Amino acid sequence: MENPSLKYITNPNFGTPPENQNELLQSLGKPHTSSFNYMVNKGLDEAIKDLNSVEFTLNERRIKFSISNYSFQKPEVSQEMVLVKNKTIYPTFCRQSANTYKGRFFVEVDWFIDDVQQQSFTKDLGEIPVMVKSELCNLHNLKPKELVEHGEHEQESGGYFIIKGNEKLVRMLLITRRNYPIAIRRPGWKQRGVLFSDSGISIRCVQTDQTATTNVLHFVTDGSAKLMFSYQKTLYYAPLCLILKCLCNYSDQYICQKLIQSCDDDTYYVDCVQNMLRSVHVSGLHTSEDCKNYLGRMFRVKFYECPEWYTDAEIADFILKKCVLIHLNDNEDKFNMLVFMTQKLFSFSQDKCKVEGTDAVMMQEILLGGHLYLQVVKEKLYSWLNVLKINCLKLAKATNFNLSQTEVLKAAKNSGGIEHALANFLATGNINSISGLGLMQDKGLAIVAENINKMRYMSHFRAVHRGAFFQEIRTTEARQLLPDAWGFICPVHTPDGAPCGLLNHLALNCIITDVPDDDKVKNIPLILTELGMKPLKYADTIDLNASYSVQLDGRIVGYISNGDVARIVQKLRLFKIKGKMVPETLEIAWVPRKKSICQYPGVYLFTGPARMMRPLMNLYANKVELVGTLEQVYMDVCITPEEAYEKVTTHMELNKCSFLSNLAQLIPMPDCNQSPRNMYQCQMGKQTMGTPCHTWDLQSETKLYRLQTPGSPLFRPVHYDNILLDDFAMGTNAIVAVISYTGYDMEDAMIINKASEERGLAHGSIYKSEFVQLDHPDSYFERDQFSKEISYLSKFIDADGLPYIGRKLKDEEPLYSYFDADKQFYIVKRFKSKEECYVHNVKLCADFGHKNPKKTVCFTYRVPRNPSVGDKFASRAGQKGICSQKWPAEDLPFTETGLVPDIVFNPHGFPSRMTIAMMIEIMAGKSAALHGLVHDATPFRFTEEDTAIDYFGRLLEKGGYNYYGTETMYSGIDGREMSVQIFFGVVYYQRLRHMVSDKWQVRSTGPVNILTRQPLKGRKRGGGVRFGEMERDALISHGASFLLQDRLFHCSDETTAFVCTSCGTILGPITTVTRFADKPQHCETKETCRLCNDDQHISRIQIPYIFKFFVTQLASCNINIKIGCRQF
Amino acid sequence: MSEGSSKEPQKTPMVYICGECHNENEIRPRDPIRCRECGYRIMYKKRTKKLVVFDAR
Repeated sequence: MENPSLKYITNPNFGTPPENQNELLQSLGKPHTSSFNYMVNKGLDEAIKDLNSVEFTLNERRIKFSISNYSFQKPEVSQEMVLVKNKTIYPTFCRQSANTYKGRFFVEVDWFIDDVQQQSFTKDLGEIPVMVKSELCNLHNLKPKELVEHGEHEQESGGYFIIKGNEKLVRMLLITRRNYPIAIRRPGWKQRGVLFSDSGISIRCVQTDQTATTNVLHFVTDGSAKLMFSYQKTLYYAPLCLILKCLCNYSDQYICQKLIQSCDDDTYYVDCVQNMLRSVHVSGLHTSEDCKNYLGRMFRVKFYECPEWYTDAEIADFILKKCVLIHLNDNEDKFNMLVFMTQKLFSFSQDKCKVEGTDAVMMQEILLGGHLYLQVVKEKLYSWLNVLKINCLKLAKATNFNLSQTEVLKAAKNSGGIEHALANFLATGNINSISGLGLMQDKGLAIVAENINKMRYMSHFRAVHRGAFFQEIRTTEARQLLPDAWGFICPVHTPDGAPCGLLNHLALNCIITDVPDDDKVKNIPLILTELGMKPLKYADTIDLNASYSVQLDGRIVGYISNGDVARIVQKLRLFKIKGKMVPETLEIAWVPRKKSICQYPGVYLFTGPARMMRPLMNLYANKVELVGTLEQVYMDVCITPEEAYEKVTTHMELNKCSFLSNLAQLIPMPDCNQSPRNMYQCQMGKQTMGTPCHTWDLQSETKLYRLQTPGSPLFRPVHYDNILLDDFAMGTNAIVAVISYTGYDMEDAMIINKASEERGLAHGSIYKSEFVQLDHPDSYFERDQFSKEISYLSKFIDADGLPYIGRKLKDEEPLYSYFDADKQFYIVKRFKSKEECYVHNVKLCADFGHKNPKKTVCFTYRVPRNPSVGDKFASRAGQKGICSQKWPAEDLPFTETGLVPDIVFNPHGFPSRMTIAMMIEIMAGKSAALHGLVHDATPFRFTEEDTAIDYFGRLLEKGGYNYYGTETMYSGIDGREMSVQIFFGVVYYQRLRHMVSDKWQVRSTGPVNILTRQPLKGRKRGGGVRFGEMERDALISHGASFLLQDRLFHCSDETTAFVCTSCGTILGPITTVTRFADKPQHCETKETCRLCNDDQHISRIQIPYIFKFFVTQLASCNINIKIGCRQF
Repeated sequence: MSEGSSKEPQKTPMVYICGECHNENEIRPRDPIRCRECGYRIMYKKRTKKLVVFDAR
């Protein structure tokens, strides 16, 4: 769309579901669902193929278990439930009844005795979570109308899981780009071993089933190189030449020639290579066979997954397959890649090429939910196989044991499943994995997709996090916004504070690539050869010094001579744009060779999934081309056609604001604001009360905020219309006067017109839901019919023991009653809340699983929240303020036409904040209301010559108002005309969810901590606000000693204690109680010190309880505290 | 107050609405939560017919 319009909401068909879903909104869930679909269609097959089998000996026979097949079903009710007519389960069911949206998962297990295959069997591993709107979800491919029929929104985009009723999302993480050797300098690497340097070439290898592991080729300062590989979180280092010799059975002369080709002028390097090769022989390892045996022998103890009958060479093969450059299947390819890495390492260590670092976006890709989920499944399947093995071994302890089909089935029956592990992973976001899955963190991987409003909800799906690890380190390197992030990561939309720069959001047009078509990937080497690339086998015949090596997904496929590169790359790009022969998501990064020191040259091609790409206009082909992060660094991109340089510029932006994220594009005229204000607006937009959903009666969310009468903004960017935000409006068009009027508007406070508030300005409510589950399966909800209090109870509770819907609830009123099967009587539970609210909805819930489920009920309450003093409001320019008064309309100033403002905004908010966009909005909103228009607030549409102020000023003039939007106003108090002209207009105001009713806290006396007897903290528990050390200092400096004594002593943990003045201890005195036979009510107490056996010198003192506690604690360490006492 | 305390006739099963087929089901306290028509497991309680009036102040 070009310009915003009111057509959408004024259309008579407004509200009827469209034929198809909005593409922009669909792109929100796209990376998540497509990665999950990949798992279902392809990934699980590959993972199971790659899964190690479990082998062990039992009664001197070799047993082997392996998984050969699987099936993953859609969420369904089991066929045994005959009474259930519709067997499909839809997400709304799980959301409403706090269930998990899951599908059944079966595996087929093959097993062998002494390599003889036995009858394989199928095992049900339980139900595992299914991603909403993935191919396994019952909503897949439904039209908007059908979605509405199944209790969803018409634009539902999916991408999340439903775990116990919560929408859970696997967080997208920025991780190192796969299959590309990166030159890194890391001081910590020096500690990795003797003579290790800080330089290394790191490569994150990712297999086709998304299993990842990192290898690092370290530079050792004695001129050698060591390869790091990891296995089950432990790092191991092996000499480069040992691994090279293990990989391929080549002669030393050949290896040396390979390593030094194209670098033979570097004598230092040649020496190093010869030394490394020599040192292998010094250790007595001469042939490839020797090396393999040695490697296997050394690592045998660590690789206990391999059965003990494996030979050393077999173990070496296992290591090479599972730990070294695992993205390559062929040892020859691994050899070539290691050679390339060695050359890059020595070039890097001699500062002949630049450091690359992992913090730049060009070296990053994204960890996707489906891929991580697949890894977790893979690992859990393996540990399940191990449980099976352990169960077999357990059964074997019986005498006369013979492993038969029945015994294996028996073992399988007790082996559990993977249901709990996967639900737990998504519910907590934690993984407990043996291998670590190649990740830097094992916590915080899944988040709740909170639905406070549509903006918040959307931003969760586009958020990318740098990783929890970087949150702790103090350096800011990982937080910096680097130039290569342009167009991929939004420079505006990042929170301030602790996660600043680590939690980012993808730019609007940035896509995450999916797994490419295999055939198209296979075409690439052929096409390159046709275009003039020399395949690897002719490497000896060409001058490698004058050619670039070509890598395809971390595999060296050939060489292109310097002269041909530009032509071949250009041709390949055209093939890519067409997308018929090679994938459209191919990334062609040509790092050119330069005179100065630069990035290590080469042609790097990437086809894999999880990369960030964005569309750009290819000026040569005049077609849209997807561009990747590494690729973009070496391209010349212009924004407008005027900027293009002839024969230099190759690409052009599609849109001036494509570098902004979804939320940043919703800010009106961000180009007129001071930059941090735009960041604040991105934060505040996410805290606005609005319309989170339309399915109010189908929700069981703990808390939902709703703005009762939202409006459509009159001044808005086109993006607002493009994402149909009118469906989820979240603000009010308010008449704003910029005037310092009441004196109650200092420090960002704002005044609301009392009459406007009474007419419903910014009126909102909160929907709170809670689940009540009865403890015993035989308990049930019912009001006691024979209760003595029946007439009292029936006021509050219906005959079924549940509250009347629509009733107003007050604190301590009976809420529900039930018959407790354990105690055999009726129990009435009361409502506990400081606020009055209404019963909105009562749902009886059960799930399809249990035979005799516990009775569960979900109550939904509606808490009305009128705007009140202390509530927070904000305009869309990062201008937030607290309502400080509700001013009577008659006392507010009025204009000549009699208009009274809804909101009075203090003009002091403008000079330092420089939010010009808000001023423009006042003018634009006013003129829009005047002429019945809606104005465009898209950035970069106005220029210095053609200013927005002039445009709207002239519109205002046409409407009979002042050019600048100011008006003469009259004082509401005395009716006199004010000599100053008042800036007066219409602004779209948002009500933020922070409300005093949720925050106020007061305490005089109340609950105390049991251990310290000091007041508790926390609003929920009725605790106090901490009166800390600095507050104490303030009182001391004022000499307010009585206040100090009152706050910190009397109102805190004052106790009475006895001190023995002769020995100075408070632990000594003990109280003896004497009772009298004639006066049973009466007793006398007497204190004696048990340390000096004396009762003469005991005094009663008031001390803080924590002091007594402290003295006792010290006594436990054999330290006595002696208190000096003096008589006054 | 407007909330009457009239005693309802005893043992009248309450009526709930099925979340899927919107059929009105009579469910007694001890009954399992299940729609008799379609077997769905979420039941909505009906809004009370009792007069609910709040003082307008």
